[in-house]
Amino acid sequence: MKKISFALFIFICSNCFSDENKINIIVENCRACHNVNINVKEIPYIYDLPKIKFIELMLSYKKQKDNNVMTRINRVLSEDDIRKIADLMYD
Amino acid sequence: MIKDIHKRKFIFNLLTGITYISLSKLLFLKKVNAKNKPNVVILGSGIGGASCLKYLNKISDLINLIVIDKNKKIRTGPFSNLVIGDIMEEADITFFLNKKKYNNVKFIFDEAKYIDSNKKFIEFSDGNKINFDYLIISPGIGYKENIIDGYRINDKVSVPHCWDGDGDLNYFKKRLGVLENNSLIIISSPDYPYRCPPAPYERASLISNYFKKKKINVKVLILDSKDSFTKQQNFFKEWSFYYKNTIEWVSRKNGGKVVFFDRKSNLVKNDQGESFKADFINIIPDQKAAPIIFNSNLVSNNDDWCQINPITFQLINFKDIYVVGDSINAWDMPKSAFSANSQAKVLSLNLINRILEKDYIDPVFLNTCYSFSKDDRAFSISAWYRLNSSEDRIVSLGSSESQVRLNSTETIKEAKHAYGWYKTLVNDIFL
Ligand SMILES: Cc1cc2nc3c(=O)[nH]c(=O)nc-3n(C[C@H](O)[C@H](O)[C@H](O)COP(=O)(O)OP(=O)(O)OC[C@H]3O[C@@H](n4cnc5c(N)ncnc54)[C@H](O)[C@@H]3O)c2cc1C
Repeated sequence: MKKISFALFIFICSNCFSDENKINIIVENCRACHNVNINVKEIPYIYDLPKIKFIELMLSYKKQKDNNVMTRINRVLSEDDIRKIADLMYD
Repeated sequence: MIKDIHKRKFIFNLLTGITYISLSKLLFLKKVNAKNKPNVVILGSGIGGASCLKYLNKISDLINLIVIDKNKKIRTGPFSNLVIGDIMEEADITFFLNKKKYNNVKFIFDEAKYIDSNKKFIEFSDGNKINFDYLIISPGIGYKENIIDGYRINDKVSVPHCWDGDGDLNYFKKRLGVLENNSLIIISSPDYPYRCPPAPYERASLISNYFKKKKINVKVLILDSKDSFTKQQNFFKEWSFYYKNTIEWVSRKNGGKVVFFDRKSNLVKNDQGESFKADFINIIPDQKAAPIIFNSNLVSNNDDWCQINPITFQLINFKDIYVVGDSINAWDMPKSAFSANSQAKVLSLNLINRILEKDYIDPVFLNTCYSFSKDDRAFSISAWYRLNSSEDRIVSLGSSESQVRLNSTETIKEAKHAYGWYKTLVNDIFL
């Protein structure tokens, strides 16, 4: 089990995007569901959250054990990616 | 107010951050005048084409933007199984492009017959031609003939496939509507690669759901040209719980590969010589790139799909032609609306960068594909993608599925997310 977790960790780390110029296009992909101009009741509208709340929320997915769609999408994003996404969206 | 500030900043970031449009626009405007604005033509205004339109519209004062589609109304693939399953109406998944949003754009509703890649024009059946400087093609899919003996793709009366926006949805529903107790429905599921890999199984689920609600006993037999399929365990669990003894799946190696169809007696035969007679047969044909691609010789001899550069989506060997969506070989990316939309973002931003003489962005893609098993239950598969180290193919960073479990609130939540994603997508690109 430990071995598997370690392998997963290495995989995830090696797959983080981090590269700064990629953050814009990551955010653009997030917009497929979280569109700044469109507020649908089935998906949380994230643009009026305080920046820090957004970061906390995104980081909390990393701790979640369930396999919901945001937990899975989040897996590939590093903490650094998440902070950069937040900078782009809220600063 | 806070919301507005965020909104404005965010839009600003997108316009400046990704493409540096504002500054480059000014430089570009100096170079061009109305006469030599480039003609950018988008052929196909389904998911991929409409997504490109949304982005290219941002520079519609710098280019002549022309959109061609044979259909005025776009009926989406996503959620079409919910229409078949009587959960939604056809009108709910049918859209007209909002011309007010695109008031700088010229629309032509006609079928393109031929693309001349050397002389750079598109020809229609009446002989009319449209010239292009840059052409984006997002024409969806075409179908392979002669895979199933006796089956003709155009025979939508005896066997409607209902796999594109071309009109057989209501007829398909009508055929279901007259089925009586103890009827047998056969779905022949195609071999890879094809548009929306989980959709045949979603269709089987929602047809079963429809009859269950009507309290009519119907069996759905899936004859599969494959030995496994995406989200298989999730489907199996849902079927065992909700559609026990209703849905039966036959893998290719167990006789699922259909090779013969007899229209008169409504039966199919598999490659092991067994016959199956049904009350309604839905053959989902094997697929390839759309006919316009082959008619215009845009693929090399033995290819079924367009080969593209994964950074620009430029068709290999054709400098000013770009292809996106289901007609391309996108390596690890499945053929889905989510993928087409994600690819279209990269294509459009890099085409804008090319026009404005800027550096290309390094692409990242996302796909999340939801499947319904009932009105309020769905599960998904998702993955991020980027380029491999030699930057010549799109590779998955690992796809992952919803956990296989029953009656969980997560499955109900995922159904809500699916509705939310769909509303967001169609609002963003069509409305
Ligand atoms: C049953 C079903 C369920 C699906 N469910 C989902 C889902 O839940 N999620 C998901 O992400 N994807 C789903 N899909 C897949 C999705 O529909 C496609 O992947 C997506 O539409 C691809 O976009 P595209 O632009 O390549 O093609 P399309 O959206 O099909 O657009 C092609 C357009 O080109 C036009 N065209 C073609 N040839 C010509 C010509 N010669 N001249 C003029 N116009 C032309 C057509 O009229 C059409 O409007 C589903 C598909 C099906 C069949």
